[in-house]
Amino acid sequence: MTIINPEAPARTGIGARKDYHALNAQLNLFAPDGSIQFDKDREAAEEYLRQHVAPNTKQFGTVWERLEWLVANDYYEQAFLGAYPREFLIALHEHAEAAGHRFQTFLGAFKFFTSYALKTFDGTTYLEDFSERVVATALFLGQGDEALAARLVDEMMSGRFQPATPTFLNAGKAQRGELVSCFLLRLEDNLESIGRSVNSALQLSKRGGGVALLLTNLRETGAPIKKIQNQASGVVPVMKILEDSFSYANQLGARQGAGAVYLHAHHPDILRFLDTKRENADEKIRIKTLSLGVVIPDVTFQLAKENRDMHLFSPYDVQREYGTALSDLSVNDHYDDLVANPRIRKTTISAREFFKALAELQFESGYPYVLFEDTVNRANPLAGHINMSNLCSEILQVNTPSRYDAAIGYQEVGRDISCNLGSLNIAQAMASPDFGATVETAVRALTSVSDQTDVDAVPSVAAGNDASRAIGLGQMNLHGYLASQHIHYGSEEGIDFTDIYFLTVTYHAIRASNRLAIERGQTFDGFDSSSYADGSYFDKYTQRDWQPATARVRELFAAAGVAIPTRRDWEALRASVREHGIYNAYLQAIPPTGSISYVNNSTASIHPIAAKIEIRKEGKLGRVYYPAPHMTGENLEFYQDAYEIGYEKIIDTYAAATRHVDQGLSLTLFFRDTATTRDINKAQIYAWRAGIKTLYYVRLRQPALEGTEIENCVSCAL
Amino acid sequence: MTLIDPNRTLGESSVTPPGYRHDPAARLRPINWNRVGDDKDLEVWNRLTANFWLPEKVPLSNDLPAWQKLSEEERTLTMRVFTGLTMLDTVQATVGEICQIQDARTEHEEAVYTNIAFMQSVHARSYSSVFSTLTSTPEIDDAYRWAVSNDLLQERCKKVLVHYFGDDPLKRKVSSTLLSSLLLYAGFYLPLHFSVHATLTNTADMIRLILRDKAVHGYYSGYKYQRGLETHTRREQADMREFTYALLEELYELELHYSGELYEPLGLMDDVAVFVRYNANKALMNLGYPARFAPEETEVNPEILAALAPGADENHDFFSGSGSSYIIGKGEDTSDADWDF
Repeated sequence: MTIINPEAPARTGIGARKDYHALNAQLNLFAPDGSIQFDKDREAAEEYLRQHVAPNTKQFGTVWERLEWLVANDYYEQAFLGAYPREFLIALHEHAEAAGHRFQTFLGAFKFFTSYALKTFDGTTYLEDFSERVVATALFLGQGDEALAARLVDEMMSGRFQPATPTFLNAGKAQRGELVSCFLLRLEDNLESIGRSVNSALQLSKRGGGVALLLTNLRETGAPIKKIQNQASGVVPVMKILEDSFSYANQLGARQGAGAVYLHAHHPDILRFLDTKRENADEKIRIKTLSLGVVIPDVTFQLAKENRDMHLFSPYDVQREYGTALSDLSVNDHYDDLVANPRIRKTTISAREFFKALAELQFESGYPYVLFEDTVNRANPLAGHINMSNLCSEILQVNTPSRYDAAIGYQEVGRDISCNLGSLNIAQAMASPDFGATVETAVRALTSVSDQTDVDAVPSVAAGNDASRAIGLGQMNLHGYLASQHIHYGSEEGIDFTDIYFLTVTYHAIRASNRLAIERGQTFDGFDSSSYADGSYFDKYTQRDWQPATARVRELFAAAGVAIPTRRDWEALRASVREHGIYNAYLQAIPPTGSISYVNNSTASIHPIAAKIEIRKEGKLGRVYYPAPHMTGENLEFYQDAYEIGYEKIIDTYAAATRHVDQGLSLTLFFRDTATTRDINKAQIYAWRAGIKTLYYVRLRQPALEGTEIENCVSCAL
Repeated sequence: MTLIDPNRTLGESSVTPPGYRHDPAARLRPINWNRVGDDKDLEVWNRLTANFWLPEKVPLSNDLPAWQKLSEEERTLTMRVFTGLTMLDTVQATVGEICQIQDARTEHEEAVYTNIAFMQSVHARSYSSVFSTLTSTPEIDDAYRWAVSNDLLQERCKKVLVHYFGDDPLKRKVSSTLLSSLLLYAGFYLPLHFSVHATLTNTADMIRLILRDKAVHGYYSGYKYQRGLETHTRREQADMREFTYALLEELYELELHYSGELYEPLGLMDDVAVFVRYNANKALMNLGYPARFAPEETEVNPEILAALAPGADENHDFFSGSGSSYIIGKGEDTSDADWDF
């Protein structure tokens, strides 16, 4: 029998199949000759643009007509365009279009038009292509500076610089969220602070940021309330409230609110905190979508080494005894003191069991993130104590508490953290005609976002941003670049390159910030007490001439025409910084770069690829396949994936970059399903010893049971 | 205290508890995982336990906006497809897997089937989680009424149930494998199709967890069938082969009718039919038989085929869901040497 009906009318609802999905999926299926079908993906991209994008794009006669229409119909803001003369706007659009941008992959095109391009309010028609989005972003960030806007267009069209999603998505649009990616809020041990933070989390989610909250200072389960014992219910109920808040708020439906919570390892609720991610956790305490992070001081490692118990300290008592919140106290430095103090309630757990529990949870859920508290604080150029990170574990800045009245108004506005990000594509940046100028343009673009951001709904964030002008210049496509140069990720040359590349970026980033300080006659608040001001920050660069260790890396920089700063360059920079200061309290942070690296055709961040053909699943995209950038049938051997490469090489690579980065770097650990909790613990010990600041997700790969796999499937052939 | 013959193995001188029904006088022995005769039992047990999950871990409520965008027709289809799956999983959980315990070739196989039976109940339960999250009680009641009154769905179940309650262990295995590897999959087409097109993606995550289990269940029953079949005469083997292809044919015809009613209104039936044939071949492969359908009849859409891979790990973003790649890990204590710094 047959039910096939060739006359059936074309379906338009969910029943409709799309050719480009079928073409894209063939990336995950070998050709009959056993090769990967890269051409099918390019076909998919072309079909997508031809079948879907072109017919659904609004056509305009001229550049000017388009801009007038967009402003008149409330799609573009008038102000940022009005800062430039008409002729310049037209010329810049034409200049960008002439660059002839093409998407290299289906996912790149699909992601851009699904997530970034401006659409009509009914969602049916595209009003921008890639170059138009770039120009709008450049004009917005240029703030009327024609030269900067033009440079930004070149940096973005060439793929050298790519702003993070919130900036690239929102810049110039009349209906938009914030341009900043990340917010970090601290909670104090009172109901006003908790209530205010829930409100702030809602407000910030609505504006499109990921929000991290610090729970370390909340009194533990069973702590007294108004001196009555056994009253407090600890951190878990607060986590539940936050989780629901994030689910409720989203950025005009563009993306679901997302949040993270950080807790110190020596908080008495630490195991309850972790257990919320257990597979069999009760619904009342189960946390599904909130991300978790744990702050671990050096002493915890020392206790585990000696196989001793670790003491957990009541934040309620610490506040009363020391007059400072637990989050602002170095547990490492005060550990013996805290243990000896009879007025501080404490409980104990086995330090090794704690690490094991951590690893078990990472197996089951990928969480928690880990922040190595003392490593982070040793590397912090500013005065103050860093006690938390953000949703992607790359933002590391100091904060100060706020105080509230009973109506949760501010009695004292503390400083909370925000950070806007943008990343260089390492392969493109190395090909830049002027590497230093590329870094400087990126720094100026990111600074512009900070200058133009005023989150009035959360005064502590606005105050923090005003004082610090912190930015996070990131990097991506390390693996793609190394493979294109036939260097193995994690090899001696790969690590040497990473070291020198980050050193060079750091030099130019500080120099750019120094120039901003000179131009504006202004430094970030707190510069005087920073290690930039006394010059000690530069010691590592001025005490020796830091140059490549391998001939290959020397050649790479020479061939690219990228000068490696010498000791004298550093000395000159130090002198200028000591005299004039720098404008931004923080300069670099290496984010995981999910979405933007697809659009930019990069490997994510400075990670190895997760798979030769990556399977990407997102709420707005569905299930799509992404080939590793620059990969061809010929250079496959340089595209080992993260599971094959193993954690040592990844950590060594990150350690080389970490030395130069003032904030953090998102570092995911990858394990096969044959790993045990001990393997994860060993990787954590290795990372801590290598001077890594934070660990992001743990990812696991479980191959199909032999006999159950799908024939010819690329992602199954591991 | 009864002494047992030290010259005979425990396996020869005692039975596992299911053997009581045949010989109440026999000595009983507890399951011993320290002596594993068939390594496949341990391998499958380890895989199944590592893959343990509950529907509560999936943030299904994030699918509410997508659900509200579906047309009335699409919602009805989804409800019915899932109710049909609930029906089949109920059959498997309460009868299909349990009835294979008595036929076990090793004591460990008995334990594996208890695990499989439990997970089938989890699967049946998980569709209810989707319903209660996305729809209302009257709609759910309607869907269950539809399942009870749908003759084709009833027939699909009863065609295998008759063998579950029959007296041939091999026929039980064949029926069970065909249910796990063939009948269920027509139902999975819809969520796989959804996942490709970014609809109900959290539900699709959950279905991927179910698929991850089903791939192992079908494979294991097929494997045990082949081990059982080896012990029979060639004549009996030929009879079983004939039985298998005949039952497959019946179920295939039924499947086309049943899925036709469901999917035809959305214009997806041509693709579903190909998918059913593909899985029919897969079921036969699990049972150790050659394909029934020619390759050109089983060319599944690449996007569905690529999504079907049970082990492939999706790289999800934390804005969208919990993913389907995490498992319960093996705990192992660190040693002093690990902390040598």
